[in-house]
Amino acid sequence: MALWGMVIDLDRCTGCQACVMACKAENNVPAVGAKEAKRGRVISWMQVLTETDEEHHGANMRFIPRPCLQCDDPPCTKVCPVYATFRNPEGIVGQIYERCIGCRFCMAACPYNAKYFNWYSYQKEGPGQNPDVSVREKGVVEKCTFCHHRLQNAREKALAEKRDFDPAEYVPACAEACPAQAIVFGDLSDPASEVSKLAHSPRAFKLHEELGTKPKVIYLTEGETSG
Amino acid sequence: MEHQPPVSDRLVRTLQWVWLGVAFLLVGSIVLWIVGLIRAAWKLDDVLSASVGISIVAIPVFLVFMGVVFYVFWGIALHGRGRED
Amino acid sequence: MADPRDTHEDILLAPIEHTGPGFYWAVAFLSLLILWGAIAYSIQFTEGLGVTGLHQPVGWGFYVTNFVFFIGISHAGTLISAILRLSKAEWRRPITRMAEVITCMVIFIGAGQILVDLGRPDRMLNVLRHGRYQSPLLWDATSISAYLTASLTYLYLPMIPDIAILRDRLGKRKLLYSVLALGWTGTEHQHRVLNRAIAIMAVLVIPIAVSVHSVVSFVFSMTLQPSWHSTIFGPYFVVGAIFSGIAGLILTMIIFRKAYKLHYYLKPIHFRYLGQLLLIMSLLWFYFTFAEYLTGYYGAEPEEMKVFWAKFTGPFWPFFWSMVLCNFVVPLACLASLKRHTVGKVMIASAAIVVGMWLERFIIVVPTLSFPRLPFPEGVYLPTWVEWGETAGSFGLFALFYLLFTKFFPIISIWEIREGRETSLKEVEERIVSYLPGEVEEKT
Repeated sequence: MALWGMVIDLDRCTGCQACVMACKAENNVPAVGAKEAKRGRVISWMQVLTETDEEHHGANMRFIPRPCLQCDDPPCTKVCPVYATFRNPEGIVGQIYERCIGCRFCMAACPYNAKYFNWYSYQKEGPGQNPDVSVREKGVVEKCTFCHHRLQNAREKALAEKRDFDPAEYVPACAEACPAQAIVFGDLSDPASEVSKLAHSPRAFKLHEELGTKPKVIYLTEGETSG
Repeated sequence: MEHQPPVSDRLVRTLQWVWLGVAFLLVGSIVLWIVGLIRAAWKLDDVLSASVGISIVAIPVFLVFMGVVFYVFWGIALHGRGRED
Repeated sequence: MADPRDTHEDILLAPIEHTGPGFYWAVAFLSLLILWGAIAYSIQFTEGLGVTGLHQPVGWGFYVTNFVFFIGISHAGTLISAILRLSKAEWRRPITRMAEVITCMVIFIGAGQILVDLGRPDRMLNVLRHGRYQSPLLWDATSISAYLTASLTYLYLPMIPDIAILRDRLGKRKLLYSVLALGWTGTEHQHRVLNRAIAIMAVLVIPIAVSVHSVVSFVFSMTLQPSWHSTIFGPYFVVGAIFSGIAGLILTMIIFRKAYKLHYYLKPIHFRYLGQLLLIMSLLWFYFTFAEYLTGYYGAEPEEMKVFWAKFTGPFWPFFWSMVLCNFVVPLACLASLKRHTVGKVMIASAAIVVGMWLERFIIVVPTLSFPRLPFPEGVYLPTWVEWGETAGSFGLFALFYLLFTKFFPIISIWEIREGRETSLKEVEERIVSYLPGEVEEKT
């Protein structure tokens, strides 16, 4: 069975936020408005975090695009009281919006702040939305799913055309949109895949690996060009 | 003592049984709920060990409550009145 | 039984028999608080949790703080009462009932906080239908329901003889008292059954109470977050719970002593003993706090230190140092010597501790969430009027429940006071004699 993962090359990331916008459009992520944003309620499944480089006295800015890291040992699914968030057999951490009771325990437990809450009813179903992704109601937690619906669509298409499903057909919106091709997506369980090879690169690291969450989003440090 | 409408003994008895029934219903449904959680964990292939581990402690505790409540009811309401020793 | 009717017993029955204007004023005031809370919650229910000050990353605030705080206060009652009963502390007699009632009322309020905190209260039943025991929240649900059941039973059992007194003496609510008295006539057999049942419950309730606040702490300590992921959180929370519980109990005793004129029953000696217990708990609390923060400081993990300094010198310093003042400095100053002005000193210490322990819960919940590991925009949590209203309403609801209880049942156990007067004097004397040097009768 596949084990979906992602490699993000920080050397290539320009911080342009194309992945963020692509994700918002793809997944019907609501725009909360300026007032709510000021109160810290932005919902952004893919978020570009910025870190100033302490060694160079803030001269360098580091961009870290952070989707859900799809941990293989997710701290969020353990604490869910109602099985509303779970890790599926292919390693994707899902969220059942219809079951979530909104206790926000998973948000408190996630060391990466990758889960978001609908503080108000931010949007209703309407034209212009992606019909493949359900619109979330108020009071539930939502998160990045590696565009799981794209996987389902690709599988269904392969089935309809009576051929085998090719993992290359499944790419999340952020990886597709990245103009610098910093995001590589694929099957980590296949040693021949590009994502597997990059994941074993000497530049590869995981965010807070010491926590033992086993993230499947792997980063490549800066250094290809400057180091 | 002042005047008051007499209270029917049978009514009191019936309501006492209802009272006991409510207590049993409460504790009984909690036990059933815990058993249901074990079943759910089994079916979903969730963490069965946690469910079983907690139930082993929790269910007997609730059963002891039931026992104590019944013991008191038996000893005081049913048996106690007969023995005016 | 003859009628050596203690004239002072009438004081205990008076609140049930007569209702003065003071009661209505109190109810009116509490209703205002509850109304504030109800309006706040109804707006939150329709609009969503957005009306609170919660946000990303501080997703938990007042409600979770209140939850931990109220469940902590609940340890006043049943636990203290059980320990005092089992250790045969004779001075417990006028105190136990008051303590047990606090527990039963406050558990409802505490568990209610979680419901208020839910984004989807309409899906609350999902916890029953799809609950999973890997989540510490389910441990809470189980442990708290066990504690609630045990506490209600433990409150009810020692009340049966008193309800029989009400049934026989009072003109009103005859049916209610007749049913609840379970046909109690005070025969020897009934006494034997009752005492045995109370003893079983007292033994059972202690581990359950300890489990409750351990499990509440596990909600935090089972996560990987800095300053939460700590092995001493279980005992630390239990100590804090008993600490705040005793303080809450003392305040309740002082209020009702004044309102119902119970000076004959609640003497300075009771407050002195409780005050001494409070002092011990204060020292124990300080020890745990010290151990917890020293471990974090010495290890000096960067994530841990962010939260540490936020509490000591950063944005949370006013809360942190007020907590230390309220939980340690003030109690130590007030309780070190209780020879004179006992009640006043104990009251000041207790009031400080109730505030301090609320701050302690707050300082555990919020700072950790405010400082995420990743370079995430840091959040400042400012509660809105909704959270203040809900908190005020919760306190109001608790006080109203308590007040209503005192209108139905005596707040001091009448029969246990009698028992103390009639049989315990002799028993205690015999017990002391048995401690003294002499021939040992039992087989060794």
